[in-house]
Amino acid sequence: MHMADALLAPAVAATMYVASGTAAGISISKLKKDDEASKLPVMAVTSALVFAGQMINYTIPGTGSSGHMCGGMLLSALLGPQAGFLSMIVILAIQCLFFADGGLMALGANCWNMAFYGCFVGYYLIWRPIMKSKWFGSDKNAQRLRIIAASIIGCVLTLQLGAFSVVLETSLSGITELPFGAFCALMQPIHLAIGLVEGLITAAVLVFVYQSRPELLQCVDPADGEGAKASLRSVVAILAAVALVVGGGLSLLASSNPDGLEWALFGNAEEGYAENMGLDEDDFGVQSSAADAAGSIQEKTSFLPDYAFPDSEAAVGTTVSGIVGSAIVAGVAVLICFAGGFFRKKQKNV
Amino acid sequence: MNKMQKALHELSEMDELAARSTPLHALHPAAKLITTIAYILVTLSFNKYDLSGLVPMVLWPVLLFQISDTDVRSCFYKLRIVLPLVMAVGLFNPFFDREIILRVGSVGVSGGVVSMITLMLKGLFCLMASFLLMATTKIDNLCAALRSMHFPSMLTSLLLLTYRYVGVMTEELAVMTEAYHLRAPGQKGIHISAWGSFLGQLLLRSMDRAQELYSSMRLRGYHQHFHFAANRPFNGRDALYAACCILFFLLLRFISISQLLGGLFVR
Amino acid sequence: MIEFQNVSFAYEKDRYVIRDLSFRIEKGESVGLIGANGAGKSTVMKLILGLLQGEGKILVDGTEVRKETLGVIRRKLGFVLQNSDNQMFMPTVYEDMIFAPLNYMMSHEEADRRVDEVLARLHLEDLKYRYNHKISGGEKRMAAIATILAMEPDAILMDEPTSALDPYNRRIVINTIRELSQTKLITSHDLDMILDTCGRVILLSGGRIAADGPAEKILKDRALLEANRMELPLSLMGRM
Repeated sequence: MHMADALLAPAVAATMYVASGTAAGISISKLKKDDEASKLPVMAVTSALVFAGQMINYTIPGTGSSGHMCGGMLLSALLGPQAGFLSMIVILAIQCLFFADGGLMALGANCWNMAFYGCFVGYYLIWRPIMKSKWFGSDKNAQRLRIIAASIIGCVLTLQLGAFSVVLETSLSGITELPFGAFCALMQPIHLAIGLVEGLITAAVLVFVYQSRPELLQCVDPADGEGAKASLRSVVAILAAVALVVGGGLSLLASSNPDGLEWALFGNAEEGYAENMGLDEDDFGVQSSAADAAGSIQEKTSFLPDYAFPDSEAAVGTTVSGIVGSAIVAGVAVLICFAGGFFRKKQKNV
Repeated sequence: MNKMQKALHELSEMDELAARSTPLHALHPAAKLITTIAYILVTLSFNKYDLSGLVPMVLWPVLLFQISDTDVRSCFYKLRIVLPLVMAVGLFNPFFDREIILRVGSVGVSGGVVSMITLMLKGLFCLMASFLLMATTKIDNLCAALRSMHFPSMLTSLLLLTYRYVGVMTEELAVMTEAYHLRAPGQKGIHISAWGSFLGQLLLRSMDRAQELYSSMRLRGYHQHFHFAANRPFNGRDALYAACCILFFLLLRFISISQLLGGLFVR
Repeated sequence: MIEFQNVSFAYEKDRYVIRDLSFRIEKGESVGLIGANGAGKSTVMKLILGLLQGEGKILVDGTEVRKETLGVIRRKLGFVLQNSDNQMFMPTVYEDMIFAPLNYMMSHEEADRRVDEVLARLHLEDLKYRYNHKISGGEKRMAAIATILAMEPDAILMDEPTSALDPYNRRIVINTIRELSQTKLITSHDLDMILDTCGRVILLSGGRIAADGPAEKILKDRALLEANRMELPLSLMGRM
């Protein structure tokens, strides 16, 4: 779900930077009040672990495919929302800087989509209420079930929110012609499946931690319920079966009724897909104001503002000159490469 | 090689690239950071149909690749991550936007095709810019620059600490993965029975490691502050470089060089 | 320099790993702390450093180890961890070496001077600006020792300083340790190294002192060592 720079308009990228930056600022001031000094090493080691952990392939039983984990819920369950959020930011920054996974300008949006929801929404709306509740009873077994429930619900919900934000940000940037509704129809079900798998993986890891070192988890009372030992494997197996049925059902549904999606994606524009999808394109700002503003500046400043009249004779003339000009630019670029090689050779000889 | 070993390899490659010494490496990290951000912002601000305006933006990264003597291949290797996503979004454009906005001879090119190509070029240019930044700047110098620009020191310290342990953790997981697959030939990933314990075991060990790390800090008098090495001061040359680059970007943004150049030859 | 007076410690209630331990290490002495796994060696180290609090009294340079005195005591002690990766947490060797001096309110110039001095003494000048995650295991161990020496501690505690090193690097580390003039307390299973570096040996067993005396005498006592799940050092086995 890492967004690339190219998918964002500058205004959207900046807005997301402000949003994530605010959340980070609040987290930092909260952590400074707590014991920042003792938390930094744990945060660093845990985020390094999650960074590496994201590369593990988990086989999904009954399918040929494998699942991965993103780690927002895991980090907030281990470190709390604020420290978890900052750790996620650092992971995303390293991925963006060293692996080109996400972009420098898209970092704000990526932090919001993948870290904010997972850490803050996942923690305050899902993890804490469920862990403090008396769902399933009060023994150790119930605690385990609560962890599993919170992980799965949390991951599914936060991934849905994240996927929705990706759609929203891309659409607002005016990058894609894909109608908002169709884009959602593409993204949300895929991320439902991904969220379920991620939820199961997170649950498995957290239950393991709970069994060995319950004090490491947030909102979990280690002394709670010294009850009978549950068979974790059977619980995970049941949940996996449920996930498979739900996921399989969904994909069946999608394939038995493909016309909705297909028609939305490939139907022609004249038929007014937007109305049919129940969505009005303009309301969702497919054309972003930023792009408009940029366009108007360009119209004022460029010598040959031709693109407004695509079929006029003059426009054809200028597009030809545009193509020729681009070719010349390409030639210059090649020349720079040759010149670079030439000077280096010279230097080496001297 | 498994995925983690590949990641380790990529990390160490970036380290080595950043440790070279070229005129570009000698510039102040802040100057490089600012110009990179400006470049990306200008690139992104091009209208989705303004292909001929966008094309000349290629000149800056190409020039820098030459000045810094960086192999463009390791940059293109990273395209495998950027392009699929951009393509997935951009590929729909030709289906929806069919208005002909450009004619090459008798062939009409639709707006969707132009906007798709523009999108891909933007993806490529932004990647080249950030790759160049990281290939010519060490991460600790970059963090020092951020700190001097009043970026919260907690985040930069966390970033550097995490970066220090990313290699250690990835290596440990790489070994664990190898050991797992040696005992489970034919399995593509981790079996469901080990979902929790595989990462969980390492997680518990990591917590002990963090504790030891913290002890080692306290034993050396740690309280609140990290003292990282500072960068050399920002000088006139850095300012000149940043100013020239940004001026160049603005020039390209507001004057369509392609059109001008083409206009010289085509009437 | 370091004195234990009837010290006991338990991680869990009533399960003591250190029982009524008393010993005294004089200034400038080199002491090897040996014993089987679980004999309590690491716990002794952590008690001295104040990372754990036990019963009884521990004195470092005449000051009792208590919460309030930790700052004073830790300034006098340098601890070389077994896992150098956990010790070297900064990006470069240089930044790790100035970490402690700067924390102890030393000026940057003074800290820089110390770093150069220590690196020159250990012949590690070319490690200065290297990344901690890119240096080899042997270099990392030497850098960790350099990090501690830059603190200029009065006493150095080392946990398995030669573990996982190849013979060449092990020899370098041993020679380095021999040249250190500070008070040293070294735990290890590498008894040959202890024999090379320490004049005195304390043998722990089940949290108690099983033997305390000159290294030559204790490490030659095959019956004593074997009774405590240890072996004669290779160099004393008469095989060579």
